[in-house]
Amino acid sequence: MLPETRDLPDEPPPFLGTWRHVYAAVVVYLALVIAACYAFTRLFA
Amino acid sequence: MRLLDWVVLVGSLASIIAYGLYRGRGSNTVDRYLLGGKSMPWYAMALSIMATQASAITFISTTGQSYVDGMRFVQFYFGLPLAMVVLCATAVPIFHRAKVYTAYEYLEHRFDAKTRALASLIFLMQRGLSVGLTFYAPAIVLSVIFGWPDRLTTLIIGVTVVLYTVTGGIRTVTWTDVQQMLIILFGLLVALITIIHMLPRQVSLLDAMRLAGSAGKLNAVNFHFDWNDRYNLWSGLIGGMFLALSYFGCDQSQVQRYLTGKSIAQSKLSLLFTAVAKIPMQFFILFIGAMVFVFYIFEPPPLVFQRIEYDRIQSGDVRARYEPIAARYQDAFARRKQAALDIITAHHSGDPNGEADALGRYRQALKEVDAARNQGASLVAATGGEKGFRDTNYIFLSFVTRYLPSGIVGLVIAVILAATMSSSSGEINSLATVSVVDIYKRHFRKGASDHHYLTASRVATAFWGAYAVAFAGFGKNLGSLIEAVNIVGSLFYGSLLGVFTLAFFFKRVTGTGAFCGMLAGEAAIFAAFLFTGISFLWYNVIGCVVVIATGAAVSFFRPQLPPQQI
Repeated sequence: MLPETRDLPDEPPPFLGTWRHVYAAVVVYLALVIAACYAFTRLFA
Repeated sequence: MRLLDWVVLVGSLASIIAYGLYRGRGSNTVDRYLLGGKSMPWYAMALSIMATQASAITFISTTGQSYVDGMRFVQFYFGLPLAMVVLCATAVPIFHRAKVYTAYEYLEHRFDAKTRALASLIFLMQRGLSVGLTFYAPAIVLSVIFGWPDRLTTLIIGVTVVLYTVTGGIRTVTWTDVQQMLIILFGLLVALITIIHMLPRQVSLLDAMRLAGSAGKLNAVNFHFDWNDRYNLWSGLIGGMFLALSYFGCDQSQVQRYLTGKSIAQSKLSLLFTAVAKIPMQFFILFIGAMVFVFYIFEPPPLVFQRIEYDRIQSGDVRARYEPIAARYQDAFARRKQAALDIITAHHSGDPNGEADALGRYRQALKEVDAARNQGASLVAATGGEKGFRDTNYIFLSFVTRYLPSGIVGLVIAVILAATMSSSSGEINSLATVSVVDIYKRHFRKGASDHHYLTASRVATAFWGAYAVAFAGFGKNLGSLIEAVNIVGSLFYGSLLGVFTLAFFFKRVTGTGAFCGMLAGEAAIFAAFLFTGISFLWYNVIGCVVVIATGAAVSFFRPQLPPQQI
């Protein structure tokens, strides 16, 4: 079975310093992906 | 299938089984069997999450969906990165710190035993229905194309998956998923390169994309909002986010993947990698379907892609009704091909008037080809075939077996079987975990030894494998399987998402409130499904909102009594 108690600190991410920055980067990435998909749609429509 | 195809296929599957059995050594405690001893690195979890989600349905049906309906299905995944961010900030640390085996175990910590039991049962119902579909997709298609009996195919896949999943538990499932995901990505890349290579010499990749785009097949984004339209930016972002929140936050088949992480950070990284990689991967798969469409502009496609039905309507009494449709189809195909070549010629010679004229003829011929195909499908349905017959799930494999060279066919079949194995092993493993941890151990046999629960987990895994094989025919009349599997999920996920939202964010909500909320949420979802035309992506939103509103209202009017008053 699992150990009864275990200290589980939330380690920092390996890049961008904080998790908040990593999350922001993912949201920006999504915006860029949608923009790219829209450009793709328009370009070949 | 030629000898080289069989060598590639059997070699791929044998390597998966051998690797799975090797990786599963030492899974001799419940902790190792169900959570891999919490030792998994982020990249293994990430690839396992993606492999579990990418079933054979993804390749068989998504490519066909793109051929018929274009690439707009990709919008379905736009909400996924947002959901991953929310889950990383909330569910991942909460589940890790609660030291649970299942997501539903946490609900008893937060609410009570009945809420945990109801959520577990909803999961078992939903995932139990889906796992049959996961097995069914490749079996039925392979049976139609190669004449392999579908029961035999499901049995072979089922025995293989159960063998390594029972033996090695989650560790085997995760590492075989990694291997399967690599085979899948390699196979898809080879398939796309081969398709592009097989286009006529005068058709470049850009020309092919122009032809697909002109036919509305590269319609990746649509900003127009419509409740009844399944795929637009808004249903994808909002409905898709709710579905992804439910799937990755409340579905044990996914939660169990990131519970195996070495640390909270490793689990978060695995989800964020999926957030970044999923949309490009789906885009890529849909793009393959669009390129198959372009290929069939220059090579005559069958009127009906399902071979058995196609042969049937060409023979006997039905032939007299088939022939005029086939004649119209061939005529429209020839005009579409000529118009497509004229578009390319006019474009390359800088003749905008000629290009516009050819484009008009191309679009007119497209409509006529589609109309003839619809008539063909109606003929199948009207002469003894399935009611509402659709051949979406047969398009890609029909193309693979007719046109791809020796070796590649075996590789693509291996991809499809690998995808089935990766999805079903994860599903079976999670169903067994919930059955043992949330039902058997909690309600029937408390306080037994670790060895007892390990044996129970193995028995439950074997049971769910047998159940999945037995119910694999469930999807026979469900049309596009990729939609069917998501619709089944959406009928249950909204309630689960609602109860976890209550657990995480509404401190005053009681166990009775959460329990009543789930019942009301399910009632609302089924009412929307049965009595309205609302797109299934919105069921998750509706269910979640109803659970929260009902849970909050019940808790307000029937607050929890302090302990001294009970």
